Amino acid sequence: MSELFAAALFVFVLVTAVTTALLRDVLAVVVVFAAYSLGMALFYAFLLAPDVAMTEAAIGAGVTTLLLLLTLTKTNRTRPDRWIEGVDLPALAVFAALLIVLVVTLLNSIPAVGDPGAAWNNPGVTQYYIENAYDDTGVENAVTAVLAGYRGFDTFGEAVVVFAAGISSLIVLRQVVFTRE
Amino acid sequence: MSDATGGDETGVENWRVSPDTNGRSAYVESQIIMTTVQVVTPFSLTYGLFLMFHGADSPGGSFQGGAVMAATVLMIAFAFGVAPTRDWLRNRTVVALAAGGVAAFAAVGLVPVLFGDSFLAHPRFESVFGIDTKWGLEAIEVAGVAPIVAGVLVGLFFLIAAGMNPDDQTPEARPDGGGHDPERADEGTDTETVSGGDRP
Repeated sequence: MSELFAAALFVFVLVTAVTTALLRDVLAVVVVFAAYSLGMALFYAFLLAPDVAMTEAAIGAGVTTLLLLLTLTKTNRTRPDRWIEGVDLPALAVFAALLIVLVVTLLNSIPAVGDPGAAWNNPGVTQYYIENAYDDTGVENAVTAVLAGYRGFDTFGEAVVVFAAGISSLIVLRQVVFTRE
Repeated sequence: MSDATGGDETGVENWRVSPDTNGRSAYVESQIIMTTVQVVTPFSLTYGLFLMFHGADSPGGSFQGGAVMAATVLMIAFAFGVAPTRDWLRNRTVVALAAGGVAAFAAVGLVPVLFGDSFLAHPRFESVFGIDTKWGLEAIEVAGVAPIVAGVLVGLFFLIAAGMNPDDQTPEARPDGGGHDPERADEGTDTETVSGGDRP
């Protein structure tokens, strides 16, 4: 049952991703891209990463879509003569061949989901977090313990980057916004 | 690709979603949307607050909580109009949220430095003040990251939405460089109803 669900989700995400690339109408692209983000959010939840799933749902499917729609209402939208972008068939064939070669040669080296012997499973680090996060920080969600505790300096840098990006946009475009203050 | 650009010359006609073609503002006052948003807003705001305050003990966290709270404000703006929402949440508030978040984050991180430990060394709170290490992490989440995310997202939204109503914008900044059709005269009255509508 869950394999069926995962397969359906995978097909959905793949179809929406390809559709996003191929559609010519910008509004349709924004709508399909939101559906893609929603599919990815479900995928993350299915892969037991609820924190990432919530972020994807709120930012990817929600806020980004709204911002893109707002931008569309302020710009010209050209009515396309056809719905689908033209595809360069020889280039597509070369890319598909390359992709098939890569997948066939590399598929075996991708670890299974949750495989304890996988290369990413660095016991010196991850196992330490899993075993000691609660005792060290008193926080039950190990993700929060890592983000705000063990790697708090990283988070500080990220927060400052978000702040700097937002403030820079405000300053660059302040003439439009701050006239109402 | 090359044949597609050739087709653009002949087959393309421009049309706008913006006020200019249909002669009304992009904001549409809808009873259905306003009622739905009125019902949904308390729940989504509570959910955002829950994610933020309970992120230490359950999935979620301040980033997600801040994003959900910002999305609530965006929803209110979509239902009741951007201009009234921006008058309600002034630019100053939004910038203060983001700047205050960075300042609070840095302040929490600098307290252990005062006592000779490294930046963001939360266990210092326990040995010096007797405060659980947990509250150092919570302070960063609630006072630092969440306000930054919420403030920046709402600020970006107001920024992009600015100029949605004609009186927000100088004529040069309009997409078509100024009024040319008689319908533009109607927009002044539309703006009145927008800013005179129900405030959230």
